[in-house]
This record gives sequence, C-alpha cells and structure tokens, in this order.
Amino acid sequence: MAFDRRFLLLSLGEVLVVAAGNLAIALVLQAIVLAAFLGDLRGYPVFAVGAAAFAAVLYAAGMIALLGLAAALGCGYAALTLHDHRLALRAGGRA
Amino acid sequence: MRGYEPLWSAGMIRPTRTSEGIAALALALTVTALLLANPAAALAAGSLALFLLWRGWQFEQDLAAAAASLTVAREVDRTILRQGTAATVRVRADVAVPAGMAVRVRDLPPAVAAGDAPLSLPGKAAAYTVRLMAPGETAFCGVVLSASDRFFAASLVCRRFDAPQIRVFPAGVVENGSGTGGAGSDTEVDRRAALAGQGIRGFRPYQMGDDLSRIDWKVTARHDAYYVREPAGLEGGSPLIAVDLPARAGDPETNARFSMAVSGAVEGAINAREGCSLLVVAGGEVVGFLPRTQDIREAFSALGGLAPLEPRAPLYRAPGPAVLAARARVPLRGTGQEAVYRERLGVLLAAFAKESPAPFAAAVRTALGRAEAVEVRLYSLLPPGDRSHLCQIVHEAKVRGMRVVLKAPAGAGALPGIDAVEVL
Repeated sequence: MAFDRRFLLLSLGEVLVVAAGNLAIALVLQAIVLAAFLGDLRGYPVFAVGAAAFAAVLYAAGMIALLGLAAALGCGYAALTLHDHRLALRAGGRA
Repeated sequence: MRGYEPLWSAGMIRPTRTSEGIAALALALTVTALLLANPAAALAAGSLALFLLWRGWQFEQDLAAAAASLTVAREVDRTILRQGTAATVRVRADVAVPAGMAVRVRDLPPAVAAGDAPLSLPGKAAAYTVRLMAPGETAFCGVVLSASDRFFAASLVCRRFDAPQIRVFPAGVVENGSGTGGAGSDTEVDRRAALAGQGIRGFRPYQMGDDLSRIDWKVTARHDAYYVREPAGLEGGSPLIAVDLPARAGDPETNARFSMAVSGAVEGAINAREGCSLLVVAGGEVVGFLPRTQDIREAFSALGGLAPLEPRAPLYRAPGPAVLAARARVPLRGTGQEAVYRERLGVLLAAFAKESPAPFAAAVRTALGRAEAVEVRLYSLLPPGDRSHLCQIVHEAKVRGMRVVLKAPAGAGALPGIDAVEVL
C-alpha cells in the first residue's frame, strides 16, 4: 500500500512537471519530485547533474534530444550489462 | 541432485515492480511529449529513464561492494562419509550490507548432494542436511548472494567459498547369491546391509571427550589429523518412531507426558537428522505410517493429536508369525515322549507361522522394510492387558536386525526382546 501511495505521488508530481510548461521550472520540480520519491539521497547529485545536462540539450536542440537520449540510454544499458556480466564472472571465479 | 547453473549463473539484475512502474510512466510521458510537442513532458520522460539507469548503476556498485565483503564460515559434522548418508551443514555468511539494500545468502551444497539450503540473513547461522549420492572427493558449490533494493534485485553466485572438501566412500556392493562368475548385472547395492556389515557409518574429526578406541589410525595418518569412526549403531539413518496409541484416556498427567515425549521425539528427529519414519498403531491395527518424512506438519497430522483410540482389531494375545517361527526352530531337547511332543509342536507351529495371514504383522513388516531404519523407538504407555501387538512389532524389528528402544512410563514393565528401556 505504501508503494502504491508513493508511486501515485510520483505520478501526480509528473503531471505537475508536464503542466509547468517552462523547462527550468519543470527541471526544478522534477528534481524535487524524484528526491521526495527516493528518500535516500546518496549519490543523488550525480543524477541531478545528468538531468540538468539533458534539460540543456533539450532546450538547445528541441525534441530531437529524445533520440539522443535513447541512444545514450542504449549505451548505458550495454555498459550496465557488461559490468553485471563481469561481476558474475568474477564472483563465479571465472575471471 | 539439482541443476543450479541455469537458475543462477545468469546473474542479470532484475527490475522490481517499482522500476517497471517508472518505466511505464516514462513511456507514457514520451508519448505525451511526442503527441503534444511538450518539452516539459520530454524532460520528465528523459529524466525518469536517466533515473532508472542511475539506480541500476548504483545497485551494481552496491552489489559489487557486498560481494567483495562476503565471508562464509561453513562446518560439516563429517567430512568423510559413506555414499547415501546424510551430513549436517552449518553455515554462516557475513556481509557488509550497503544502505537501502536487503541481502540474503543461500548455501550451495555439492553438486552430488541431495538437499537444499535455506535462505539466511547475513550474520545468522543456518543449518541444513544433505545426502551425498556419489562417491569421490567433492566440494561445496559456493553461496548465492541474493540482493535487492527498491528498484532492482539480483542473485550472484560466489563460488570461491567451497570449503570444506568432503570425501564420500562408495556404498558396499552385495552379491545376490549367484555364486562365482556372476555378471555385473547380477549385483545390487544394498545400503542397509552394507552398513550393517561394516558397522561404520562415517568418519569425523576427533573432538575432546571422544573415546580413544574409536580413532581410525589409517584415516588419521592420511589426513594428518585425528579422525574417529562413527559406528552405524550410534548414528544410524533416520529412526523409526513407533507410537502405540492408548486405548482410553487415563491419567491426564501421564498422557500429557506421553504426548510431549512423542512430539518432541518427532520434532527432534526431523530437525536434527534427515527426517524420521512414523508408525502409529492402536492395538492390532496400523493407524498410520509415514516413511522417512521431513515434513513436520505431515508427521503431526499422522499422530492425530495422540488421542486415545479403542482397538478395532484385537490380536487376542496372538504371538505373531515371527515368534511362532522362532519357537518352531527351538532345538529338540528331552527324550522319549517329550522329544516326540516337541517335534510335533514344532511342526504345528511352523505350519501356523506359514499359513497364518497375520495382517498386522505383515503390515508392520512392510513398514519396517520401507523405513530403512536401524533403530525403532517404541512409545507406549504399556497399559495392562493384551500387549501382543507390541511384541509382534519388537519381534519383526529383531528379525530385521534392528535395535529396539522402548519408551514407557516408570514401573509400566517391559517387553521381551527389546534392547533398552527409557522412562518417559
């Protein structure tokens, strides 16, 4: 139930972000909403910097930035998979 | 024997329901952004996707840190044992658990072992029993580190924790009497007979207080450490617990003590060993039989609350076929008419022993055969009156070479043929 309530609040926060209209206000709101959702802010500035960089690209390049983000996410996912694979090999004594 | 590899070695992190919900939300915002050309929605969608990637990376870092800090202490009660016998494993894993992460550890028994380990919390010891099914040197397969946070979960196999090594001797091979030149297909492994014949069930490191005469010098010399033999009679397989339900409610205090003793024995046998077999009788009737169960609820269900049960099939002091057969084999003594009388009696008893249907004795015999136990623990209040069903159980057990321990109230008497009496 707690999970549902938190997720509902996140969804409402996203509605607020979309309704903000202005990109800068949306960025601030998004940072606040996700921080509230997360609770534990360990390492959060790293994410905040990434989100701000994406907002800057979005402001400069427009909607095409979504394509760039998709490519970046693909690379990130590949890197994560590779890291996970290496971790499994190391723990399994095969690397 | 299990196949762990397909289940665990993939090791990929898995999203939780929270992550799946966030991904769905990001997708919905992306559609909104594209349909309405809304940069704020695009920012929300992109930042949510970035958020998931960042959390995944964070989880991987935490998992690597937890795996690096993992230490495992594992103890096995015997490191040298015979094929098919059980070993009790105690394992404790210590992990530095990162904040926001929940970690559980599961031990991986040797690949040739039957039995699973429970999931345990870091810092908490867990005990379980495995049965080594193949001979040779074997080692543990490591531990599985199961970690999760709010967004991701993963199971990581850590194989470097494989100590201690276990040596498994093959079970004996018994000829079936086909004589010299019998082909390989004419032999079969008879575990119980092989163990009974050799009298040794396994070896374990010497502990303070052990009988010095039980030190096995060959094994000690081979391992450069003292090892003692474990006789089959002292630590047999799972015991058979036979319970004689009382016919009617008697003294409540005695009944309570009886119930506690039986329940405690069943629970102890299931928790401490590889389970137990349970035979419940009421007079000349087998009420229930569970061969080698490890399910404590099933065992207690078979006991039926140990409520008194009026026997529906009295035996009327019938000695049973085992006793008749034994009496028929009594050597002839005396001379003249006495010898003739004894001979005729022997023939008569032998005929009765052969022809008597004796369904109770047959059911007990079948149960003893399926239990594969070396010891019968017979729980009874030994009420006055007909005890022939208990005598038949004892004799059937003795025919199979089993040790019989009677557990009865003080002053209730004893039964012929039992090896030991313990007061409830």
